[in-house]
Amino acid sequence: MGIVVNLDVMMAKRKITAGELADRVGITPANLSILKNNKAKAVRFSTLAALCRALDCQPADLLEYEPDPE
Amino acid sequence: MKWNEKYSIRLSKVCVALFALTVAALALTAPWVVDWFVKFSRAMLLGREHFLLVSIYAAVPPALAVLWLLWQLLGNLQKGRVFIPQNAAYLRGVSWCCIAAAGICLASGLYYLPFLLVAVLAGFMALIVRVVKNVFEQAIILQDDADYTI
Repeated sequence: MGIVVNLDVMMAKRKITAGELADRVGITPANLSILKNNKAKAVRFSTLAALCRALDCQPADLLEYEPDPE
Repeated sequence: MKWNEKYSIRLSKVCVALFALTVAALALTAPWVVDWFVKFSRAMLLGREHFLLVSIYAAVPPALAVLWLLWQLLGNLQKGRVFIPQNAAYLRGVSWCCIAAAGICLASGLYYLPFLLVAVLAGFMALIVRVVKNVFEQAIILQDDADYTI
């Protein structure tokens, strides 16, 4: 699995829609969807910082490591 | 008119179209071209006109295939679709067509030695295109990484 992005949980806690979050972070809704669905291969620190600022959280609240199943 | 990549691709497409017309014209007029070539050149091909005709007709399909693949590739470039698997596949096809042409020239060397030189050149072209295809495949991986970097 690797790194899992838990955006849905924080978005639900902060009661913010995908469109609104994408707008605040400065990325397209399509790119936000790629992040939410764990299809992203890399995240820029600037994007991560913008997400944390928009959701008022820490990177650890958004990112989780899951070891690959053997 | 300021020259740019858009005009460059258009020029390439024009050249491909001209080559295709030339190949088609050669295919249609091959018997007369061969007759003229054998009579007026210093090539020792008297009595081997049929072999030359067979070589020409055998080379027409790979030549047209190369031109079709190049046309498709240029079409994708015009649409801004550069580093995609389809373009790598087109380049792979061009390389194989060059190998086919090299094989035809190699066989033709049995009755006319200078064809062996053409076979080597065609093989070299196949190698160059194959390496370009390898570069494209790496670029596709890099593009994919870039597209999925948020």
